[in-house]
Amino acid sequence: MSDRSQLISTGKPFQYDKERDAEFERLVKRYPTRESMILPSLWLIQEQEGWVSQEAIAYAADRIGTFASKVYEAATFYTMYHLHPMGENHICICRTLSCWLRGKQEIVDYLETKIGIKPGQISEDGKFSLEEVECLGHCGTAPVVQVNGEFHEDMDVDKLKSLLATLL
Amino acid sequence: MAEKIKLFVNGVEVEVEAKKNLIDAISAVGIEIPHLCYHPALGADGNCRMCLVGIEDGRPPLVPACKTPAREGMKVLLDAEHIKKIQHDVMELELINHPIDCPVCDQAGECKLQDYYMSYDQKESRMTVPQVTKGKKLDFGSGVIHDQERCVVCGRCVRFCRQITKTGELGAINRSDDTRINIFPGRPLNNRYALNVVDLCPVGAMTSSDFRFKQRVWFLKKAPGICHGCAKGCNITIDHNRQKYEDDIIYRFRPLLNKQVNGYFICDEGRLSYKQENDGRLIEARLSTQPRSIDEILTASTKEIDRAEKIVISLSPNCSLEQMITIKALSEKLGATLTGYSEGYIKQDDGDDFLIQDDKSANRAGLQLLEIDNSRDTFTGAIREADLLINFNNNLLLSFAEKEISKLLKGTKVITVTSHDTPFTTMADMAIPVASFSEYAGTVVNSDNILQSFGKAITKNIDLDDISGIAARLGSPLQTPGERFAALQQIISALNGFEPDNIPAEGLKLKESEAANVTA
Repeated sequence: MSDRSQLISTGKPFQYDKERDAEFERLVKRYPTRESMILPSLWLIQEQEGWVSQEAIAYAADRIGTFASKVYEAATFYTMYHLHPMGENHICICRTLSCWLRGKQEIVDYLETKIGIKPGQISEDGKFSLEEVECLGHCGTAPVVQVNGEFHEDMDVDKLKSLLATLL
Repeated sequence: MAEKIKLFVNGVEVEVEAKKNLIDAISAVGIEIPHLCYHPALGADGNCRMCLVGIEDGRPPLVPACKTPAREGMKVLLDAEHIKKIQHDVMELELINHPIDCPVCDQAGECKLQDYYMSYDQKESRMTVPQVTKGKKLDFGSGVIHDQERCVVCGRCVRFCRQITKTGELGAINRSDDTRINIFPGRPLNNRYALNVVDLCPVGAMTSSDFRFKQRVWFLKKAPGICHGCAKGCNITIDHNRQKYEDDIIYRFRPLLNKQVNGYFICDEGRLSYKQENDGRLIEARLSTQPRSIDEILTASTKEIDRAEKIVISLSPNCSLEQMITIKALSEKLGATLTGYSEGYIKQDDGDDFLIQDDKSANRAGLQLLEIDNSRDTFTGAIREADLLINFNNNLLLSFAEKEISKLLKGTKVITVTSHDTPFTTMADMAIPVASFSEYAGTVVNSDNILQSFGKAITKNIDLDDISGIAARLGSPLQTPGERFAALQQIISALNGFEPDNIPAEGLKLKESEAANVTA
């Protein structure tokens, strides 16, 4: 674990776009209390901006009507919320047992040489970021790579090459 | 009386109160169950695991005492080897990343971690990896300074801000060994009870910017008292110390538990009002602005009283009942008009529904109980005709603008008997210094009609008489504390059967009939 308490400020106020605004209002009806919206509201922010800024957390707290400290807690507790900007294409490689046994390391090694960054880093041109993540839940078709939220299963280096070609 | 039950602790039968958790029930009979996160005002959280005990009735081998209600016949195990081991293990976990800076830590001497280390651990650290480093001396606002490394993440401060003040400024950020308490950037502690987190913190993570580095706690003498900051009458512990060659100084007020009055907390304003006991005091008698001896001024005052045709006596709503009744007796003897007018002590809409009251005086209910007039008309009417005003510690500049009061007092001699050197003191012709509330014993009635007594906490190098003493020397018939208390008993039947020093610590709730005057 690492310290995630340093939030990044954009200096600009945050606001949901129309689509997320409507989605927020749709979701809020699902839950018995508005506080239940803390995690979904953070997802909506990440979906919209790719990461979660200090202003966005404050916005979510005020929108929900809860303490900013509570949203801050949740955002820093769950590592799946990105608290700084990620690459245009965010690539997650599953590192849990099945994927590990089925060769996730080859995929990581290939990506490291191809893009020139290690997991946890962002390429200089801002195009790519890599991350090793825990189980993505597709163990039957390991190893799994997730690009911008989309699953690519049964991966090997060859498949990865053609996948990268579509992104470059 | 609360219902009692019997249970066994380490095989010994003890009688405890029912409907309490094991920590509270057993601690009442003097047996300690160590705990960090549990606090009676904040409820059981169960996160620190320090209070794990064994219950021999087939339930799991270890249960948190904070979440276990005491039951009849329960067999509680505290001194078994496996309990001692778990206590030691929890301590070891707590201490992995705890800096060993006790010599410079303000909490040292009143630190739970320090105490528990001595009682339950006493082992050397086995850690060979570097400690996790976190933020030091973070300014959380409202005078709270936070050290994240000393924190044991019990969450008391977080729960206090969410449950009690409902302002929620604090949160437990990150997770696992990186967890730390923090404010959200730009939203610091902003409530009038914030400094209570310093008391709640079992370790030295939360410190008060006002108190830190001022005094080692083991040098402080502790005396109970009543805060005179507002009409609530919160119970406080007065921490004071006389350093070599110095005067006795108060270093801080801390809340003292009184479930009937203030519970476990006090407001920040009241907490910091200790400064007014140390500073801005009048310690010499004065003729106009010239220092004189108290005896000299008293003699001069008596002459003025003899000479005066019409006397007005005004008194502060902070005076104790004893002082009020002594002044009242003096006033009756002199045929003076007695007034407790002190509207300036009330700050409209300043109070809240927790502790803070609009009325910033400690004993206005006492004024009404003794039927002392406090209307503006009586005061201004009487003062226009008077040629002498004897003012007992009532800062009239709170109730009147300076121009207004000097106009009213034109041609009136003013003798002020005061604990503080205020601008009003300099307006007086004669000033007599008296003890402030930490330096005398007395009784006050709070805004809920609860009568509370307090003792003399501080003895200054110059041990000034209190207002009753000065009123007696000016000729009040009530010369001794015994006479004053007896006079009070005539009026307040609830005091019958009590002596000044055996009034219950939680106070006497006055009955409606006794308090009938109060609501008038």
